[in-house]
Amino acid sequence: MTLVKDTPVLAPSERSSGPAAAKRRGRRESLAGYLFMSPWLAGFLLLTAGPMVASFYYAFTSYNLFTSPQWVGLDNFTAMFEDPRWRKSVEVTLKYVVIGTPLKLLLALGVALLLAQSRRGQGLYRAAFYMPSLIGASVSVGFVWRALFSDNAIVDSGLKAFGWNLGGWIGDPDLVLYSLVALTVWQFGAPMVIFLAGLKQVPRELYEAAEVDGAGPLRRFWSITLPMISPVLFFNVLLETIHSFQIFGSAYVVSDTSCGPADGTLVYTCYLYQKAFKETQMGFASAMAWMLLLAVALVTAVLFWSQKKWVHYEEGAK
Amino acid sequence: MRADESIGRRKLLKAGGASLATVGLMAAGCGGGSGSGSGGTVTLRHAWWGGEPRAVAIKKCIALFEKKYPKIKIQPEFTDYAAFWEKFQTQAAGGNPPDVFQNAVGFLRKYDKRGVLMDLNSQIKAGNLSLDGFRNGVEANGQVDGKQLGIPVGANTMSLVIDNKIFEKAGIKPEFGWTWDEYFDALQHIKDTQKIAGDTGYFGIMYLYDLYLRQNGKAFFTDTGLGFTEDDLIPWWEDGYKRVKSGVVCDPKKVAQVAPKSALSAGLAASEFTWDNFSVRYAGEGHPNIGLAPIPTVDGKDTGQYLGSLMLSISNKTKYPKEAAQFIDFMVHDPEVGKIMGYDRGILPTDEQYEAYTPSDDQNKAIAAFEEACQKEGVLGKITPHPSGADVAEAAFLRIAGDMSQGKTKVNAAVKQFFNEAKAAFAA
Repeated sequence: MTLVKDTPVLAPSERSSGPAAAKRRGRRESLAGYLFMSPWLAGFLLLTAGPMVASFYYAFTSYNLFTSPQWVGLDNFTAMFEDPRWRKSVEVTLKYVVIGTPLKLLLALGVALLLAQSRRGQGLYRAAFYMPSLIGASVSVGFVWRALFSDNAIVDSGLKAFGWNLGGWIGDPDLVLYSLVALTVWQFGAPMVIFLAGLKQVPRELYEAAEVDGAGPLRRFWSITLPMISPVLFFNVLLETIHSFQIFGSAYVVSDTSCGPADGTLVYTCYLYQKAFKETQMGFASAMAWMLLLAVALVTAVLFWSQKKWVHYEEGAK
Repeated sequence: MRADESIGRRKLLKAGGASLATVGLMAAGCGGGSGSGSGGTVTLRHAWWGGEPRAVAIKKCIALFEKKYPKIKIQPEFTDYAAFWEKFQTQAAGGNPPDVFQNAVGFLRKYDKRGVLMDLNSQIKAGNLSLDGFRNGVEANGQVDGKQLGIPVGANTMSLVIDNKIFEKAGIKPEFGWTWDEYFDALQHIKDTQKIAGDTGYFGIMYLYDLYLRQNGKAFFTDTGLGFTEDDLIPWWEDGYKRVKSGVVCDPKKVAQVAPKSALSAGLAASEFTWDNFSVRYAGEGHPNIGLAPIPTVDGKDTGQYLGSLMLSISNKTKYPKEAAQFIDFMVHDPEVGKIMGYDRGILPTDEQYEAYTPSDDQNKAIAAFEEACQKEGVLGKITPHPSGADVAEAAFLRIAGDMSQGKTKVNAAVKQFFNEAKAAFAA
């Protein structure tokens, strides 16, 4: 049964019939549809699409918010590559993404595997592990992190007990980024829940069959679990990677708004923010934003391309 | 069936219209700013940065003002320093700046160039605002190219804030005319005998390097750019780096950890250079025994000091220039305001206010004594100009000096980077 056949049944009309009336009705209905959407549409046009178009234009200008933008062509983009702080911000962000994301996903998968087995109080465990994801992005946790990773605080004294005399991480330009990595890894609950859902979908009979064939736990994990949850894994990798590129809040709070010390937490968006609102170089900042979009799009494209090699979708499920 | 349908449609259109109207209202709401209310009252927005004590004091002054001028209402807006300028420039760019706002020397040319500041000479001529009675000619701090862009609410000068107890124990008594060599020897002595760093990081403070340059016949800024060369800055930072390495100056890692608290309050070092009126902060941060000491010199005499100022400015966009001028006039001349504000924004600017207030606590007494001593020693010179972008250059100086002191950037590269960033700041 097709949709066209359904239409007269859904909206019968006595006087007007034929294609012209149907067209008119269609127009009216779509008008109503747009009206229903109007709050969202207005928000999208005024707060998202408009600013995006404007920022695309500003990316090719020199603009200090007060005097009208001056067209400078590609100068902002070439200036970026010559700017040591921009290069530093790219380096810091990449380090954060490349180290933080895999660690977080590994932990999420590991804990999900443990929690997938039914046992008493599993709801409680799941809630407990998920909790950091809810509060981790808050400013207060940023302050707690500052306290945890300072001189002679818990982390420092804990490491000293093992003979690692590193000092506080917060004041050390080389270590401070790892406190941010720790913060994101600690919030493994969100991907964990998605992994759990994926693990529940793996048919039990596959494991039973494998066991009968004599496959050990490791073999079962590599040959059954991992391929079966690879779509979920792909989803998590994609989401967490994109998310990591946009890190701002934790870097801003943990560094006491300086993104330091010595630019140690100068993540990309932090530098973008400084350029825009501290130095009012809106043109440069807009260009930076578009570069970030480009980079994230590129990484996403690579991930999508690579999934052909390692993501297995069930037959028939498309 | 048809009737139903059309009602449905009408309802629908209404719903859509209502939601559009809501959007319209929201837009209108955003544009609401200062304006005249009922009965001819005028509402002015007054914005400033500073801590809690300043906010409490200014609100008291506003209450006094509103009593005296019942037709003018003042709406306060306040935040900390960094957030203030971010908010201000966004408001100003959007055509909605506060009518009267706190300002400082480093921002005058920047916002004059951007057409935000009103030239107050017209209001002075109209008799709404008086420039009489300012002490030591500080009204000149608000003048740029013949325009009066701000009215000082105080006068302050750079000082060396010391931990009295440690200096006493080490047997060091700083005096006017002591030299940089004597100062650094003293720090070394403190480090050796008291086992604490002498200073918190002098080499990144733009306003201190300015004094050092002034002692050498230069200055940090000119009207349009920097007043020194890369070769001037290299030894200043090289020495700073060496002193961090040797422990005479506090480890920047430790300074970063205690921020936003001062490293001096945190007990990490024995002294710190800053504006004399900022010294009240250390008591607030739990450091009870703070003294103000003189700036070291090159020639045994000239400290390079001058009186700086926080001031009040009026936005060019204000609809009520007369009332705004009257408010500023009240804030800088009224004796009661002087009594309430004390030296929070520096020594009170006018004779009326200065005479009305007698400091009773140790910290404000120390500030008064320090500025009196500076007057007596005759070390206060004329302020040098600040170009547009001076604020951004100051922040870059502090940040890059920090990178350098952590060993993340070599001194030569750091100096080059500072000059590049400063150039961009002046051009923006």
